[in-house]
Amino acid sequence: MRATNLLDIRAVSKTYIVDDEPVEVLRNIHFTVAEEEFVTVIGESGCGKSTLLRLIVGLDIGYCGDILLDGTRIAAPGRDRGIVFQDHRLLPWLSVEQNVALGLDASDESPAAVKQAVAANLDLVKLADFGRAYPHQLSGGMAQRAAIARALVAKPRILLLDEPLGALDSQTRAYLQDELLRIHQRGKVTMVMVTHDIEEAVYLSDKIVVMEPRPGRVRGIVPVELPHPRNRAAADFIAVKERVLASLVNGPPLCFDAAPKSRPIVPDGRARRFG
Amino acid sequence: MTDRSLIARPVAHRVRWRTPSFDRISFYGLPLVLPLAVLTIWQVATVRGWLAPQILPSPSDVAVTFIDLFVSGDIVTGLAISLRRILVGFALGATGGLVLGVALGRSIRVEQYVGPSLRAIAQVPSLGWLPFLMLIFGLGETLNYVVIAKACFVPIALSTAAGIRNIPVRYIEVARVLRLRRRTMVLRVVLPGALPTIFSGVRIALGHAWIAMVVVEMLADTAGVGYMMTWGRTLFQIDIVIVGMVVIGIVGFAMDAGLRATERRLRQWTPDHV
Ligand SMILES: Nc1ncnc2c1ncn2[C@@H]1O[C@H](COP(=O)(O)OP(=O)(O)OP(=O)(O)O)[C@@H](O)[C@H]1O
Ligand SMILES: [Mg+2]
Repeated sequence: MRATNLLDIRAVSKTYIVDDEPVEVLRNIHFTVAEEEFVTVIGESGCGKSTLLRLIVGLDIGYCGDILLDGTRIAAPGRDRGIVFQDHRLLPWLSVEQNVALGLDASDESPAAVKQAVAANLDLVKLADFGRAYPHQLSGGMAQRAAIARALVAKPRILLLDEPLGALDSQTRAYLQDELLRIHQRGKVTMVMVTHDIEEAVYLSDKIVVMEPRPGRVRGIVPVELPHPRNRAAADFIAVKERVLASLVNGPPLCFDAAPKSRPIVPDGRARRFG
Repeated sequence: MTDRSLIARPVAHRVRWRTPSFDRISFYGLPLVLPLAVLTIWQVATVRGWLAPQILPSPSDVAVTFIDLFVSGDIVTGLAISLRRILVGFALGATGGLVLGVALGRSIRVEQYVGPSLRAIAQVPSLGWLPFLMLIFGLGETLNYVVIAKACFVPIALSTAAGIRNIPVRYIEVARVLRLRRRTMVLRVVLPGALPTIFSGVRIALGHAWIAMVVVEMLADTAGVGYMMTWGRTLFQIDIVIVGMVVIGIVGFAMDAGLRATERRLRQWTPDHV
C-alpha cells in the first residue's frame, strides 16, 4: 500500500426507509483508497455500489460511520470529488462544451481560462471535434467520455466512476479502459470505479473491493500487484481473476486488507448501529 | 472536419419516411379542407337564400367589407391598438408569472404560502374579474392591460412551477455535485428543463389574453378589433362582425404559430424536433 490514504471509509452503514420499513443497504463498509490509487468496486446488482458512491460524492449525508477525505468527514459535494454517473447525465439542452464548462461554474476562473480548460479536457477524452454537438448527437461511448471530461475539468483529487463502461460493446469498452488508464496515469487522479466485469477490474485497478448483497457488505479486498500494461492472457492475470471470482461467488469472506473485525471506535461517541 | 459530417446524418435520414412532395401537400393542404368546405356551404346558403342577408351576408359581401375596412384604415388602426395592448399586457403578465413560477417551483415555502391561493384564483375566469376591475381602474387603457396581464400571469406562473418541479432528479443531482451557482442553476438547468411545460403555459396564456382583450374591447372600450365588432352589431352590419371574427381568428392563430415556431427554435437540442 502507498503512503497516504486519501479516502478513508470507516464502518459506513446506510439504511433507506421504504414504506416506513428500514431497508439496510450498506453494512459496516470499510476500506481505504490511497493517493493516486485506482480502486474498483465489484459486486452483484443491488449490493449498494451506487449508493456508496453517492455517499462519497456527498449527495446523501444520512449515513452512519465516517467517510474521511484527507481526514475530514464528508458533509457535502465538493470540488475535490468528481463523479461520472451510471447514466451519463449530460444536460440534453446544452452542447458538449457547455456541459463540460459547468464543471468549472463554481470556480473563479476567467472565461478564457474556462474555455481553455474545457478544450484541454475534451482533447483528453478525444472529443475535440464535438464541442458544439448536443448529447443526442453522440454515441453512448462518446457521451460517457464527455461526462468524464465534465467530471475532470475542475481537477478533482478523486474521480468516482459508476459503471461508466457498462452499456458499451466490448471493443469500445477495451478502448475506453485504456483511455481511463491513460487519464489516471497522466492526470495523477485517484479513481474509484464501480464495475460488474471482473476482467475489467483486474485490468485497471490496484485494488478490488468485492461486495456482497443484502445488506451490502465488503466480502473481501483483493490487491492487484501486476505491472502496467497488463496482459489479459497472462497466467498471473488469470490467477487474480480466479481469486476475485472465488470471493465473489462462494467462498468464505476473504480478508486481504486490514478491515477491523471488532466494532470500530466512533470518534464523537454517539451511539450508532452496526450489523 | 470529417467527424462533423457524422453528426448530421441521423437528421437527414429521418426525412426519407415519405416523399417530400406528399408531405408538403398534406402539411399545407389538409388543414385548408375544412375552411374551404365551410366557405362553400356558406356561399350556397346565401345564394339559395336559406338565411336573410341581414343575418348572413354572402362571403363576397364580407370580402368587400373587409377590403373597405382595410383601405379606410379601420382594421389596421384597430388591430394596431389591440396588438399593442396584447404586447404590453403579455409582457407584464408573463414576466411576473415567470418570476413567481420560478419561486413557486424552487421553494417549498413559497409554494405552501402562495400555491393553493393561486390555483383557486386560476379557477375564476379572467372575465369574471371584469366588473370588479372596471370599478377599480375605470374604463380605459389601464383596464385592458390589467385584464390581459392577469390572464397571462396565472397560467404562466402555474406552468413554470409545474415544469420546474418535474425536472428529473438526476439533473438536479448533477447540479448539486457540480455546485452550480444559483444563477447558472436557474438559467442552465431549471429554465431549459422546464421550457416545454412553460411554453404550453405561455400558449394557453396568450390564447386567454387574446380572448379576454376582445371581450373587454366589446364591453368596455371604444377602440380595437373588439370594439369594431360591437360597432358593426349596433349598426346591424353583420358583415363587419364577421370580418372582425375572421381577423381575430387569423391573428390569434398567427400568434400561436409564432410561439410554436419560437419553441421549436429554442428546443433544437431535442432529438425529435420535427
Ligand atoms: N432512494 C432509495 N430509496 C430506497 N431504496 C433505495 C434507494 N436507492 C437505492 N435503493 C436500494 O438500495 C439497494 C442498492 O442500490 P444501488 O443502486 O446502490 O445498487 P448497485 O449495487 O449500484 O446496483 P447496480 O449494479 O444494479 O447498479 C437496492 O436494493 C435499491 O433498491
Ligand atoms: Mg449502480
